[in-house]
Amino acid sequence: MSATAAPIEPSGAVDAGSASTLRREVWRELRHSRSFLIGMTIVLVWTVCAVAGYHIGPYTPFEQNLNAVNTAPSGSHWFGTDQVGRDVFSRVIAGARSVMLVAFAATLLGTILGTVLGLITGYLRGWVDESLSRLIDALLALPVVVTAVLVVAALGPSSITVALCIGVIFAPLIARTVRTAVIQERELDYITAARLRDERGSYIMFSELLPNVMPPIMVEFTVRLGYAIFTVASLSFLGLGIQLPTPDWGLDISQNISVVSAGYWWEVLFAAAAIASLVIGINLVADAIEKAME
Amino acid sequence: MRNSAKLNQLRRGRSELENHVIDEFVGGHITRREFLRRGSIIGLSVPLLGAIASACGGANSTASSGGSAAAAKAGSSLKIASVVPTGAINPLSIADEGGLTMLQQTGETLVFNNPKTNVLEPVLATSWKSNPAGDVWTFTLRNGVTFNNGQPMTADDVVYSFQSQTNPKVYVNASSVFTGVLTNDGVEKVDDSTVAFHLNGPNGNFPYLISSDNYNMVIVPKDTDFDKWEKTFVGTGPFVMKSYQPKVGATFAPSPHYWGGNVLPSELQFIFYPTQQPQILALQAGNVDIVNLIVPQGAEAVINNPSYNLLVSKSSQHRELSMRCDQAPWDNKLVRQAMALSLDRPGIINALYKQYAQLGNDNVFAPIFRSTDTSVPQRTQNNSKDKQLLSHAGHTNGFSTQLYTEDYQEIPQYAQIIKQAASAIGINIDLHVQSQADYYGDAVFGKSNWLDGAMSLVDYGHRGVPNVFLEAPLESDGSWNAAHFKNSIYDGLVKSYVSALDLSSQRNYAGQLERLMLDETPLILAYWFDSISVTKKNIAGVVTTGMGQIYLNRAGLT
Repeated sequence: MSATAAPIEPSGAVDAGSASTLRREVWRELRHSRSFLIGMTIVLVWTVCAVAGYHIGPYTPFEQNLNAVNTAPSGSHWFGTDQVGRDVFSRVIAGARSVMLVAFAATLLGTILGTVLGLITGYLRGWVDESLSRLIDALLALPVVVTAVLVVAALGPSSITVALCIGVIFAPLIARTVRTAVIQERELDYITAARLRDERGSYIMFSELLPNVMPPIMVEFTVRLGYAIFTVASLSFLGLGIQLPTPDWGLDISQNISVVSAGYWWEVLFAAAAIASLVIGINLVADAIEKAME
Repeated sequence: MRNSAKLNQLRRGRSELENHVIDEFVGGHITRREFLRRGSIIGLSVPLLGAIASACGGANSTASSGGSAAAAKAGSSLKIASVVPTGAINPLSIADEGGLTMLQQTGETLVFNNPKTNVLEPVLATSWKSNPAGDVWTFTLRNGVTFNNGQPMTADDVVYSFQSQTNPKVYVNASSVFTGVLTNDGVEKVDDSTVAFHLNGPNGNFPYLISSDNYNMVIVPKDTDFDKWEKTFVGTGPFVMKSYQPKVGATFAPSPHYWGGNVLPSELQFIFYPTQQPQILALQAGNVDIVNLIVPQGAEAVINNPSYNLLVSKSSQHRELSMRCDQAPWDNKLVRQAMALSLDRPGIINALYKQYAQLGNDNVFAPIFRSTDTSVPQRTQNNSKDKQLLSHAGHTNGFSTQLYTEDYQEIPQYAQIIKQAASAIGINIDLHVQSQADYYGDAVFGKSNWLDGAMSLVDYGHRGVPNVFLEAPLESDGSWNAAHFKNSIYDGLVKSYVSALDLSSQRNYAGQLERLMLDETPLILAYWFDSISVTKKNIAGVVTTGMGQIYLNRAGLT
């Protein structure tokens, strides 16, 4: 064997050109996907509400009319008013901000932590993989909402606590997906080539492996985002998230569910529908991305 | 027509205080209803009160204890929805609605404050009287009373119960009533059927302070271990505990030893619910027969439904929004006044209670109290004066503060209304709505958001007289003084009020106290609300109180 033998060409790796081609193909696929277009429209509508919801509603989400409490949907209040005379439509619009912000932050945190864990366990293998994987298995056995309730109750309710908690709980789920993808990739020639070039482990993991396991990470991110929205809303419903009187879908459902039996269904229905629509929208996007990646 | 001869005969042998009350009635200074109430306080028996009223030309009848038992059949098994007790069922420490409801099923007090008439009625004591100074009260105990474990009740049991509830070495909830009024060495067994209370000073309303208004003050056997009372529920009441499961429910059966006659229900089954909503749903679904204490918010489906009986009585229940008078910025009374002026009280009542509440005027004298001075002007919302006051106090640009409160009944909604009203004048309130356990904490200063918060919004149950409201939350050394209000003039006026034995004196001091509280505004009291319970249409004989007790020994299906 010659010391000056030609370097081994990466095989199976995504170089810049092919990555660009892949992106174009995925994007073309997505543009023709009805699921993606519908899902993205829903998500964009709620994103606009999250950004500008406090200003585009017919009333401010805090404005009270104590002489018009629990009024049914009408021309002046499309979604009716709540127990202290606030416009439900304005609160539903503004309520998108807290749930989307916290859910996005939580999912991003979970994805970053999970990706790092997945890269480490999948690439290093051996005792590191064994020990971390068993820990991940143990964490996966914990029910998400129950664990979140316990942690948030212990640390005190706040949006930051909720985001941190959900992020940490999601990390093992994402780590397992990333690890599986990394294990497949690490046996390919371009990783062998990088090892032969005596590249550092961190370089191989984050510069070589990471770009090639991005598709499943993106799919996982969108799937987890849907779960995160549901979890955030559940914790708010239990009074463990954002505090009154901030408009928040889960919190507003919790506060008004006591009056549903009195016939004031609108105080709960529209917030619940908002949660459902956002989760459905994100899941449609996730499904479309997953299919396009395949 | 007045029968002077009979009246003179009835006056004979009465004490100076008793004749003073009789004279006030004869002279037309107090109404018949007030005469019955005042007479019952000082221990005039119900037949005697009726006879005096009759001699003065009134009808010879007194108010009933409320609740029609005539139509109720014996042998019913009743299911009652109740809020979950927050802690152990310990007569010394209970301070919550769920707990007192449990306590009261087997426990009884010496006297009962009739919620319909606000007149005291005998229970374990058959009569009572004070010395002329009003600082020694003597109670005659009922003969033949037996605890539900078969043990006879004696004066020793009464003394032990009172000494335990006035023990300064342990935390007792009744300290809110007894502090400054009665110490444990002031409880004396006179003989086997008589107990005397030597008070710290004169107190014209003392019988109310040991009545059913003071829900902790049930009589238990001597040497009872209060920490273990939850295992036995030993008391003199009409029921005996069959099972008690914390956070779940309790069942009771009629006590075979009850002194008060037949107990109609064959069984009571209490089911605990965390909030009002599932209680209402359970009633609508037919899973329970009675829901004890509801608020109108969320209960419209049963309140406006002829298929249910609504038990409504005026009460002194209210919410107190305290502001820390010892900390900036609330240490400036102008700031406190500004906050009070920012509230739209009629709007609050309309939103939260509809027709079931009355305006509050930032003092603790409820419309139902006879001593209340109604000539004090009502505080109303003033959106220019509130900002002006804030500006004078040096807070032109407003400030930020914290408000702690409990997730209970309509309080979260009320807290949001307060926050919104405050924001209109530049006060930014950071709202903390907590579970009752978190909010009350250890219920002592330094370990309780209720007592330590810059602003604190708390619920107060019904009392027949304002003594507890005047003392515990507002006196300088009050055990519930969340406002940390210290005012020697106030303390002096309270002492004068408490020791006043006649209504005109009480009303005079009440007026001074109301004006002082309106000026100082250590707390905001925006409304008084009615006590509301609801039963199925075919249930009769249920008696409820503004305090939250529910008496079911004469209840049943019709």
